[in-house]
Amino acid sequence: MIAVAKRQWRAWLNRRIPRADSLQFKQSNIFILPTGAGLMFGLLLLIMLLTGINYQNSLIYLLTFVLGSVFVAAMHQTHRNLADLEVTLVKAGEGFAGQSIPFRFRVASKKHDSIAIAFTLPGVVIDPLSVLAGEAQDLNVMVPARKRGFLEIDRLRVETRFPFGLLSAWSWMRPSGKALVYPRPLMPPQPSTPPAADDESAEARTMAGHDHVEIRPWREGDPVQRVLWKRYARTGEMVIGDWQGDQGSPHWLDYDAFSGVDQELRLSYLAAQVIERDSAGQLFGLRLPGEVIEPDRGAGHRRLCLSSLAVFGLPDTDVYGHSEATRVRPFKSGPKPARAFT
Amino acid sequence: MSHHEQPLPSRALLWLIVGFVILVAPQWDRLPLWLIGVCILLATWRALAQKGRLRLPGKLLRIGIMLAMTALYLFTVSGRFSVETASSFFVLAVGLKWLETRYSRDFYVLFFILVYLAAVNFLFRQGIGWTLLNLVGVVSLFIGLQVLNAPQLKGASLAGWRRIGTMLIKTLPIVVLLFVFFPRMGPLWSVPMVSNQGKTGISDTMAPGSISSLAQSGDRAFRATFGGEVPPHRERYWRGLILDQFDGTTWQQSQPLPFERPGRVNLDGGIGALAADEYEILLDATNQRWAFALGNSNAVSDNLKPMAGELFRFRRPADTTLRYRLALGSEPTQAVEALSTEARRRYLQLPGQGNPRARALAERLKQSSSNDREFINSFLNKLRTEAYFYTLRPPTMPGDGIDSLLFDDKRGFCAHYAGAMTFLLRAADIPARVVVGYQGGAIGADEEYLIIRQYDAHAWVEAWLPDAGWVRVDPTAAIAPQRVESGLRDAVAEEGSFLENDWTSPQRYGDMAALQWVSLKLDKLNYQWTRWVVGYQGQSQMDLMSRLPGNLSLRELGYVTAGLMSLALLLAGLITLTRQYRERSSDPVQRLVAHWHGLLQRRGLQVAPDETPDRLARRAADVYPNAKKPLRAFAAMVNNHYYKPSRAGEPTDLNYMKRLLRIIAQDMQKGTRRQSSSERKAE
Repeated sequence: MIAVAKRQWRAWLNRRIPRADSLQFKQSNIFILPTGAGLMFGLLLLIMLLTGINYQNSLIYLLTFVLGSVFVAAMHQTHRNLADLEVTLVKAGEGFAGQSIPFRFRVASKKHDSIAIAFTLPGVVIDPLSVLAGEAQDLNVMVPARKRGFLEIDRLRVETRFPFGLLSAWSWMRPSGKALVYPRPLMPPQPSTPPAADDESAEARTMAGHDHVEIRPWREGDPVQRVLWKRYARTGEMVIGDWQGDQGSPHWLDYDAFSGVDQELRLSYLAAQVIERDSAGQLFGLRLPGEVIEPDRGAGHRRLCLSSLAVFGLPDTDVYGHSEATRVRPFKSGPKPARAFT
Repeated sequence: MSHHEQPLPSRALLWLIVGFVILVAPQWDRLPLWLIGVCILLATWRALAQKGRLRLPGKLLRIGIMLAMTALYLFTVSGRFSVETASSFFVLAVGLKWLETRYSRDFYVLFFILVYLAAVNFLFRQGIGWTLLNLVGVVSLFIGLQVLNAPQLKGASLAGWRRIGTMLIKTLPIVVLLFVFFPRMGPLWSVPMVSNQGKTGISDTMAPGSISSLAQSGDRAFRATFGGEVPPHRERYWRGLILDQFDGTTWQQSQPLPFERPGRVNLDGGIGALAADEYEILLDATNQRWAFALGNSNAVSDNLKPMAGELFRFRRPADTTLRYRLALGSEPTQAVEALSTEARRRYLQLPGQGNPRARALAERLKQSSSNDREFINSFLNKLRTEAYFYTLRPPTMPGDGIDSLLFDDKRGFCAHYAGAMTFLLRAADIPARVVVGYQGGAIGADEEYLIIRQYDAHAWVEAWLPDAGWVRVDPTAAIAPQRVESGLRDAVAEEGSFLENDWTSPQRYGDMAALQWVSLKLDKLNYQWTRWVVGYQGQSQMDLMSRLPGNLSLRELGYVTAGLMSLALLLAGLITLTRQYRERSSDPVQRLVAHWHGLLQRRGLQVAPDETPDRLARRAADVYPNAKKPLRAFAAMVNNHYYKPSRAGEPTDLNYMKRLLRIIAQDMQKGTRRQSSSERKAE
């Protein structure tokens, strides 16, 4: 029952605050309620009123009315403190799984000061922020990434209790921008020298004057010239020689190089290799099932490779995380959401 | 809540301490001295701890301090319970809490206690100055709260002053309206006394020196306003108590008031303008039950209870300022009833022995006078003609005090002469009693009211004459006529003893006209404040309402208040709506697009911010195929409006777009119904 209500509430909220990278807080998306201290304050006012009535003391009445009005005024203040704020996701960062990924927000205030705005995200510590009227500040939110792929902030709670802490006005920012999380880099175990026949290594070594030849099974897309046909004739296995010459011949990082290893682990190995090759300044290419990145070097190349590893195998997404599939959920015969605070 | 676990910012703590000091100030003369000391010590400790110079005490020490202080408190209070003792408990609680104030949660606890303390302060002191001080204290607390909630902000204190100040000014009209119209219902239940400690003022016993010590005080006792002519000074005998039992030194009541549980507070009596024969008294707190009234008065307000001997009592001791109303009766014309034997015995009571010379004098005078009236006159004549002095510095008269007063020292204050005369009358078999109260009173600013001060305290005599009943006789008037004609100042002018120990009272410096003027103006300001703001209670509200058109009753007032509140809410709502209206786009097509987005979002379709109308329409049509046509048409119109240069001159048909939106809504509604019914069929 509660779970259903919670789900309904979430659904209602999500409709009310659609995903957007920029959110201007206003009447329709700000919620305001008294805090615990605010409720106590209300109780205190009631006790004061009773004291005033029973002692027929006008000045206690007066103080009660003054404090009650201050409470109402504080409600406006707290609301306005948030209402003038605009939060924009400037950049969703990128990083490796296991790290914290920075999301950079810009928090701007137009006409009024926005003081002591607290941002909360479960499991993340964010210092509160004060933005003066007409100014803007940057806010970095470090979100821990557990697994590779796209990381989005589900709901960033933006809250203020200023000025008195008696009321809390809050809303949720639901940025649509996503951070790209690369697989957690793991160095593959050093390949043990395969117990291969001497003639095979000799055979490989003789290939067109190239050194350091690696042998791997053939797969679609491999050039036919590299198939070790002699070996095919002998064993029926179709293998190819994959080589990297001293002269800068392309060195391919291959998804299929780690046969029998779990997909995520393979991606981790590849990520580690990309980092290693890149920091060594080597030329390298990446071959994934269904995707080949031609050998290159440099930061852009590294990013491209890591991005491909990050999104490998994820359903229907481009690198920016936009899903082609329509996120449709027909509204069934539920209650129409009432418009609050209008 | 994690919010409450942050350590306290120093500036917030500072403001809290400032608020505490200000809010405890109005109680300085009520708190036990040790408590003030403890509070200062503990607050200093806390402040030093904040600076890192000292450490806050550990748990054991804290509990030790707490137990010791509570024990000390219980010992001081020793079972008396009143608001005064309760408020000193609040102060103690705040003092002890200083040692535990670590987090913002503790700040809030202190905030609540201190705000309530401010309310309690109003029970003790209601002057304008104290009211403002209390408000400043509360404002300090609110500044502390602001600093607490934005600790990193620079200049938060100044901004805090400004913010709370603006809030107070902006809400002032609402506060005033609420204050005037909020129905002042009667007390819901009986509450403890504000204070049960004695105050300076008339007491119910009279020893020879008791009133002369009261005459050293310039404190105000009450103010009186007359609807008609103000009686002349010599007629202004404010009767309070009848003392009819003498034990040789002290006069007291033979039938003291039985103890009564204090009733509900009823501080306000009298509606409407004063009639010509009416007068109204604004009594400062006495913590006593007796009211002061001129002779031959009738109670008008319902907070007075008439008693035997033409006295009036309150149902509850006057523990704060109280207003009551009386009417002067016409002179009684009907025949005087004879005194009952029991009463006669009471008013002739004398101790068996003592003061033999006075008794002998009474015998002598009785012999020489033919009736009681003549007896009285011959005694007053004796006082008038012989060298009796009226003095604020009477000698002590041990033993037979009346004898030494009448025959040896011949110097005394009103209490001496009133006691002596009553003694003499009784010794001559004339029923008599001492009456204590006040006599006279100074005219206040603009002659609006009389101010009666403690030094106007007086004692006189009432004697029973068979043909006239109780008759007032004032021996002091025979010795020092100025006392009743113009007051104590003139009566003791030669002696120079007027308020000689009360350096701070402006009345002491009667010759400084400017000071008198300022003092009277201030008193008037305070009078208006007390009468119309502090005293704006039950009947005063009815009074004001009776002057307003409509003549509202308490219930109607409730309606008015509720109406005002809902009007305020309505206004706030309207402002919100207009603001929202202003917030919306000025581009009509943009508004229609927003409407369209809203329509789709309510159906569960997420709208991406960068999505083109066409794409959105396509997506929506996938889910609601029956609305495909209008969706497409709408999207096309939006596109045409914004992007088709050839159509730039032509106005877009907004009505047609609106109609399309209505059709989209209807079609989608139908589509939903069809979907759910087909789902049901599938099941």
